[in-house]
This record gives sequence, structure tokens and C-alpha cells, in this order.
Amino acid sequence: MRAQSPATSWGLLSPWIVAFALFGLYPFAFSLWASVTDYSPIRAGTQFVGLANYGRALADPAFWTALANTAFFVVGTIPFTTALALGLALAVQPAFPGRTFFRVGFFVPSVVSVVVLSLIFKGLYAGQGPVNAALRALGLSAPDWLLDPETALPAIMAMDVWSASGYYMIIFLAGLEAIPRELYEAARLEGASAWDRFTRITLPLLRPTLLFVLVVNTVRSLQIFAEVFVMTRGGPLHRTTTVVYYLYEQAFYRFDLGYASAVAYLLFAVTLGLAWAQMRLVRSEEPTR
Amino acid sequence: MRSTWRRMWIGAWMSGLAVLISCAPAKQEVVFWQFWPVEVVQPLIDKFEKENPGLDVRMEQLTWQSGLEKITAAVAAGNAPDLCELGSTWMPRMLAAGQLVDWSAGVADLKSGLRGWELCAVGDALYGLPWVMGTRALFYNKTLFARAGLDSTRPPETWKELEEAAQKIQRLGGQVRGYGVQAGERYVLFKKFMPFAWGNGGRILSDDLRSSEIDSPQNREALDFYLGLRKVGLMERQDVLDRMFKSGQLGLQISGAWLVRSIPKDAPGLRYGVALVPRPDSERGTHASFAGGEVLVSFQQSKRKQAALQLARFLVRPDNALALAMAVQTVQPATLGADTTAYYRGNPEQLVMIRQFETAVPTPNHPAWVDMEEAIEDEVEQALHDRKSSAQALADAHRRLTELLAKGGR
Repeated sequence: MRAQSPATSWGLLSPWIVAFALFGLYPFAFSLWASVTDYSPIRAGTQFVGLANYGRALADPAFWTALANTAFFVVGTIPFTTALALGLALAVQPAFPGRTFFRVGFFVPSVVSVVVLSLIFKGLYAGQGPVNAALRALGLSAPDWLLDPETALPAIMAMDVWSASGYYMIIFLAGLEAIPRELYEAARLEGASAWDRFTRITLPLLRPTLLFVLVVNTVRSLQIFAEVFVMTRGGPLHRTTTVVYYLYEQAFYRFDLGYASAVAYLLFAVTLGLAWAQMRLVRSEEPTR
Repeated sequence: MRSTWRRMWIGAWMSGLAVLISCAPAKQEVVFWQFWPVEVVQPLIDKFEKENPGLDVRMEQLTWQSGLEKITAAVAAGNAPDLCELGSTWMPRMLAAGQLVDWSAGVADLKSGLRGWELCAVGDALYGLPWVMGTRALFYNKTLFARAGLDSTRPPETWKELEEAAQKIQRLGGQVRGYGVQAGERYVLFKKFMPFAWGNGGRILSDDLRSSEIDSPQNREALDFYLGLRKVGLMERQDVLDRMFKSGQLGLQISGAWLVRSIPKDAPGLRYGVALVPRPDSERGTHASFAGGEVLVSFQQSKRKQAALQLARFLVRPDNALALAMAVQTVQPATLGADTTAYYRGNPEQLVMIRQFETAVPTPNHPAWVDMEEAIEDEVEQALHDRKSSAQALADAHRRLTELLAKGGR
């Protein structure tokens, strides 16, 4: 086959390059510039302020509250989402009648719009809603989930675990399918128990998939916004104000886009750090070859 | 051959273009962004275009969810509409940004015919035209009043009567609750608490907007009263309270004219009344409420400021504002004397909203109002969730407002 000239390659890539420059690079550069200015979209006369916005964020207790809420969200959902997704994947992997029904059923929430899901759950969680009706029928106490400062964030987290697991289940399924059957057959011949087969074969060989799920889910969870916007608007008592919701308010209620950009870059730094740590952690446990 | 074809094409294009240009009348286009359904506003626009043949209005409908973002983005990009409708709670931010056109001279002759000028004024300068007004009043369920042994033709007029009525209804038990205390939502809470504080003579800032007056005995008394209403009712979000009211499970709550509109559709059998927000005592205080509304403004960057003002002046005309208010029913015209029109004389619930506006209080037009509103709501919410005493909450609100005032507007 004849090697194509660089010009042809560039030419074929150019639509993507133009789109990336316009909708990827330019906003990225613009927000980086905005983060060191007092830029406000509705006020003329933008001034360079250096790192003042970053300093202001680090000194603002509201930012730390938002970061703490986000951290709580990440720590409180990812282990459950991952475990549930893996459990569902293991459950629907073997062939049994109706397998497709369950696979599709578990996956459906991840193709439904978050806004729609949030509106549904807002109704489910209402004081006189179905969730509380069920709890009362069981003789349990029924808090007003989204109004009580103690339960509002956990309620949103529960919804997130439920709605996100289906997507990661599909990824785990793909990972499981890639494990050679022979390994399980050999292990069985050697008399390995189901638990041994899971911990000695399935888990180690799923490690790359697990890493992918962890990193992607962490990045997504750090950016949680739509659920909060629809269900609680950051309340009660700021208990559900996440970093992205906080920066949204700074940008679009206070028109403080420079400051909001700085907050976005701080979140970016946190995300990058966490993703790097996860990769190190999961990779370092890889068996030496 | 090929070049001949091309020449013919270009020629055809050019002549077509020339015909188009020569035929088009020299109409000036005015871009108008607003929040009402197009089918409601379009007849008004058609009427305007007929009266002003030289102007062509390009109207767009915004949503309350994303409208502010869209306006912000447009101003940033230099594409602001010529005329724009703004919610009164957005005005302090817009005024602080210095992007609105000073209309003082162009609207001076309208001053005696409209109310709500506080919403668009900084000192004596006017940066908009009040179009329609919206306030909050007391809604009560007449059936529950009768069941609780109360006179359903006499809504509570004082705090004491309100509390007693709520208590009697709360005692009916079952699914029924007395008073609906609004909670769990931002940007709404102060509209529910401040009516009692304002009615009690309390204030947020001093007249010159230089110092905080939130930590006053009047406001403390009002907050204690508001907190006490939790015992004779329940705390819920506005949409849940409205739903409960429509299903006949809620005795009393403060709500807006959107309920008047939706009740005939959602709960045609509901027997209810609308009354002024109760005042502290029959001898003392006022029936205060939150004064909100919709304001028409133009942006500095607009190139058709004169046409924008012309359209704004047309829209606030008594007949046009009334037509809009009658169609949407959630607001009332800013026109003084609208209450004497046949429509309002035949709609007692809507009429109460106009009466309520006469004693309603607008929020201070301070550049940092967004932060002030948040500070007040934060602290009142802390008290509602029993995290702070009323005295502590207001003392903390005072401290936060004072800090914001010291920083100045940004």
C-alpha cells in the first residue's frame, strides 16, 4: 500500500482539528485567561488580577464546603457503584433465559436524561411520596429526604449509584467476556472453589477494566451538577452544593466568570491528582511478569 | 462552455439580489426577548407593528430556567437584544453591571401612571419600565376553615388570628396541615419570611443602603413568629405546598397568583380565598409582602435604543399590559388604577393581588444583593432547621451583610 502524503492526512483530519480548536482548545484557553482576570460577561473593563481568584477560592469557606460535599459524594458512591456494577455484570454474564431482558433493564437508566431521572426521584423522595409510603408501611421512620440537611446528599447519592451502575455493568461485562474460558476450566479441574476462581482469575484479569471504571466514574462524580440543579439547588443549608454547582452560581448568578474559571481549574487539578493516584494504585498491584 | 454557465449563474444571482434589495421596505428591526408564551405576546407585537409601520419586531421567548444565562452570554458576545424583559430579582445585578440604558428622560411622563418604579431605579435615575407586577398573598382553604369551626368568610388579619386558624386546622389531623412553611429552596425563602418582617416594621438595609438593619427587635419578633408557624403546620418546598393546597390538605400558605390560575384547572372544586398577608396586630404594622415584577430594559450596546423605548412604552400602555395580565393570569399590570377595570372587579382573587402590591416592599437595589439574599436565606434556614436561635441567626446575618457592605458592590 502506498503511504499517504502528510498533506492528505492533515486534510482528512482538518474537520476534526477545526472543531477541536473551536470547541475544545479555544474555550480551554479562554477560561484559563479568564481565571487570572476579573472577567464578567456583563461588565466592561476586564482587569488582570494574577492568582487572586485562586487565593480567593482557597480562602472561601463556601468553596471548601462544596469541595467537602463533592468528596463525600465521590467516596460515598464509587465503591457502591463499582461493586453493584460488578455484581450485576457477574449476574447477567452466564447464559440463562431472559438474560437480555435484565441486561437491557439494568442499562436503561444510563440512557435516560439525568434531568428526567432527577425529576422522577424528586417525586419519589417527596415527604408524602412513594419511598416514604413504603417505609411507613414497614413501620420505619420516613424523613423528608431532600429537605432534611442530613439526608439530602445521601438521597442524591443513592439515586446516582442506581442510575450509574448499569453503564459500568456493560463495561465490566465486556471485560468479563475477554477473559479466556480455558482459565476457568483449568481452575475447576484443579479443584478451585468459586471464590478462588473469582479472586484468582476474574479480579486480576479485570484490573484494566476496573481501573477504567474507577477513573471514569471519579471524573464524572467530581463534576456532579444536573442532579443538584434539578433536585435541591444546593440546599438545604448548602449540604448538596457541589463544586460544579458552586462555580455555576458564581458564573451565572453573580456573573463572576473569572472567579468561576479559577474554581474550575482548581477542580481540574483535584481531578487530575485523583486520576493519577488511582492509576498508580491499581497499576502498582499488577502482578510482575 | 463552463465559464458561460458560471457567468449566467452569477448574473442570475446578482439580479435576484438586486430585486430583493429594491423591494424590501426600509424597515428597522427591533430584537425583543421576553418570557411569556409567544401566542400571548404576538397579538401585541402585531398591533405595535401596525401602529409603527417602520418597525419590525423580532421576538424570542426565553425560559426562566435558562433565560438569565442566555442574556448574560448575549451581552458578553455583544449581541444583547434591543429590548429585554427582566425579573425584578435580577435587576440589582444588571444595574450594578452598568449595562442598562438610562431611560429617565424618555419615561418621565409615565411616572404618574405606573407603579413599581423602585424595581428599576437607582436614586432618581430610571433604567427600565415596570411592565407587570407579581407579589405573594395569603391563600386559605374555606372548606378546612369551616371544618375547623372558623368563619370561612373572614380570613385571618393578624399574626395571632393566623396562628390560631392554623392551629385549629392542624388539629383536624389525618393528612391535613395548618400552615405551609416554605423551606428547602433557594431564592424563594426570603420572599416568604420577609413579608412578616417588613410588616412588623423591620428592614434589611438602611434607606441609604449603607448599613444593615437586619438584626432589629422587629425582625427577631417576626422570625420567632415564623418559626412558631412550623408547630401549626409543616415545612415543605413551594411546589409540594401548592400541590397540598390544591388537594385540600393545607389550610393556609403564602403563595402567588400562579395558584389562582391553576386551581380552576387542577382543583375545580376547591373552595378557597386570597387575603392580604396578616399584619402583627390590628393596631400595628402593615400587610407587607414581597414586591416583584417584570421590567423592560434596553442595553447600552443596542443600536436601536429609540425603537426599543418606543416598543417598551407601547407594551406598558394600560390596554396592552392588561391584555397580557388577563392572558397569563400570573401577574397584574403595573398600571395604576388597573384594579378599577371590569376584569379585576370580576376577579376578587386577582384583585387581592393588586391590593397586596400596594403594601408590598421591593428588595434593595444594592449591587451585592445576590450575596445579601443568600446570607439572609442561609441564616433563616439555619433557624428553620433549629441549628441556630432566631437571635443568633439574625446577628450572624447582620455580620454578613455588614461585611458585604464594607466590600462594596462587585
